[in-house]
Amino acid sequence: MPSLPDIAPLAPSDAAAAPADDILIIEDVFKSFPGVEAVRGFSARIRRQEVVVIMGPSGSGKSTLLRCLNGLEQADSGLIIVDGIPLDDNHAHRLEIRQETGMVFQSFNLFPHLTVLENINLAPMRVRHKSEQEATARSMELLGMVGIADKASSYPAHLSGGQQQRVAIARALAMSPKIMLFDEPTSALDPEMINEVLDVMKDLARAGMTMVVVTHEMGFAREVADRIILMDSGSIVETGTPDTFFTNPREERTRRFLSQIL
Amino acid sequence: MAPLAPTTVLRRFWRSPWRDIAQFVLLIVVVVWLVTLSSARLGYNWQWYRIPRYFWTVRNGRPVVGELLQGLGYTLQLSAVSLVCALTLGLVVALLRLSSSFMGRALSRVYLEITRNTPLVVQIYLAYFVLGPVLGIGRFSSAVLALTLFEGSYMSEIFRAGITSLHRGQWEAAYSLGLSTLDSYRFVILPQAVRRLLPPLTSEVVSLIKNTSLVSLVSLADLSMQARVIAADTFLTFEVWFTVALIYLLIMVPLAITARWLERRYAIAT
Ligand SMILES: Nc1ncnc2c1ncn2[C@@H]1O[C@H](COP(=O)(O)OP(=O)(O)O)[C@@H](O)[C@H]1O
Ligand SMILES: [Mg+2]
Repeated sequence: MPSLPDIAPLAPSDAAAAPADDILIIEDVFKSFPGVEAVRGFSARIRRQEVVVIMGPSGSGKSTLLRCLNGLEQADSGLIIVDGIPLDDNHAHRLEIRQETGMVFQSFNLFPHLTVLENINLAPMRVRHKSEQEATARSMELLGMVGIADKASSYPAHLSGGQQQRVAIARALAMSPKIMLFDEPTSALDPEMINEVLDVMKDLARAGMTMVVVTHEMGFAREVADRIILMDSGSIVETGTPDTFFTNPREERTRRFLSQIL
Repeated sequence: MAPLAPTTVLRRFWRSPWRDIAQFVLLIVVVVWLVTLSSARLGYNWQWYRIPRYFWTVRNGRPVVGELLQGLGYTLQLSAVSLVCALTLGLVVALLRLSSSFMGRALSRVYLEITRNTPLVVQIYLAYFVLGPVLGIGRFSSAVLALTLFEGSYMSEIFRAGITSLHRGQWEAAYSLGLSTLDSYRFVILPQAVRRLLPPLTSEVVSLIKNTSLVSLVSLADLSMQARVIAADTFLTFEVWFTVALIYLLIMVPLAITARWLERRYAIAT
């Protein structure tokens, strides 16, 4: 796996100039579906370049929370502010937030009728109005970073799961997002392909990308997470650094959860 | 390629335009059989040699187009114009029905309810006798209007089914990348939907062409109208109607083959 030298959308000087402010503010977010309260009063602040891992049993509201953050679901109440822009009814705000937030899905969701390169080029060309040449140059660079430049003209169906997910990551990165959201990016993969995707994500984290990752990959969480949040029944059970979370959790609920996934 | 299970073959056949053609051929076989039977009884005098002149004749050394060929041209013209209009209307109605606008959804529902629950014949009369004079449009335009309104509702159902059958993840990916709704439709949803739509759309085109024969009711000089006139004038009833049926069939077969070819050409590898 090649390294990712300059993948960070923030230039180092930028990062130095900006204070370690909160790029993502989540306050008391609620979201219900008919008959289910999926998210119940979730609050957190995420700093620039921070990597936060969210864990929790199935059905605890992790996906719903993540989808609220980029507006895929509309929260019933609460506050979400992405890089100073509130996610409210203002259409321009919503549009900007979904352009600035990259999302990677469990099921990849590549566009099957487009080649790998066309998948990645589409949004930069249509949304950022880049020329095809410009977009392609950047896309090829990103494909090189995720290690599949040779597949640029293939269709998604001809790629392995791991390769498809790496394309999906490159596609999201092509919009130069300020935050990347990952919803169980490796849980649909065969075991032998999990690492190639995690390696890309680790490189991304080291390069300074702000990331919110829903995953149960302990190795990944230990290695790159700044903070781990355990969610249950729609709210936070415990928050901690990987060290305290895995070796010395405060909550009995966390211990039970860890014993289940270990 | 692995041999297909018989049920799969059957199902594919059932969904394909070939089904329409097979129906048509079967129908013709039955009719021919019945006609042979009855003509023998009636002592019908077959005069096939009198048919070619209705395609064309040579007068003063110049070829002259006959009534049947004229009618065919008219039918094709009417079909083509109505098809383009019905496809456009169908797409717009489907998008309105799927939109978040309350007015859009209500409007499309009203349109669908009205057109689906009125026979085409009634719509043709309405367009010709009521809408035509009101809008000040001629006979041809009235026929196009009636066919468009009628077929548009079927087209819209086909479009809607194709769009909603796409996995939600495609929308979500397009949305997350910041694509506008229009761009999501244009570059992500419709190109995929169209591939699924080709087989049902072809069937609908076939039925549209068949339905154009109904406009002869308002004395439009299409193929069926010409056939009626010739049959009434010459008593070549059987010959004329067999010829016309064969012409309709000759339009459908290339259509079915084209649809097949398009379907393969744009099949998404999965
Ligand atoms: N679109 C939806 N409609 C109805 N219920 C939903 C929907 N999405 C999620 N839920 C429900 O919300 C709860 C939380 O789901 P989810 O956020 O997917 O949890 P997780 O990702 O932690 O497994 C579950 O009970 C789930 O059934
Ligand atoms: Mg989930």
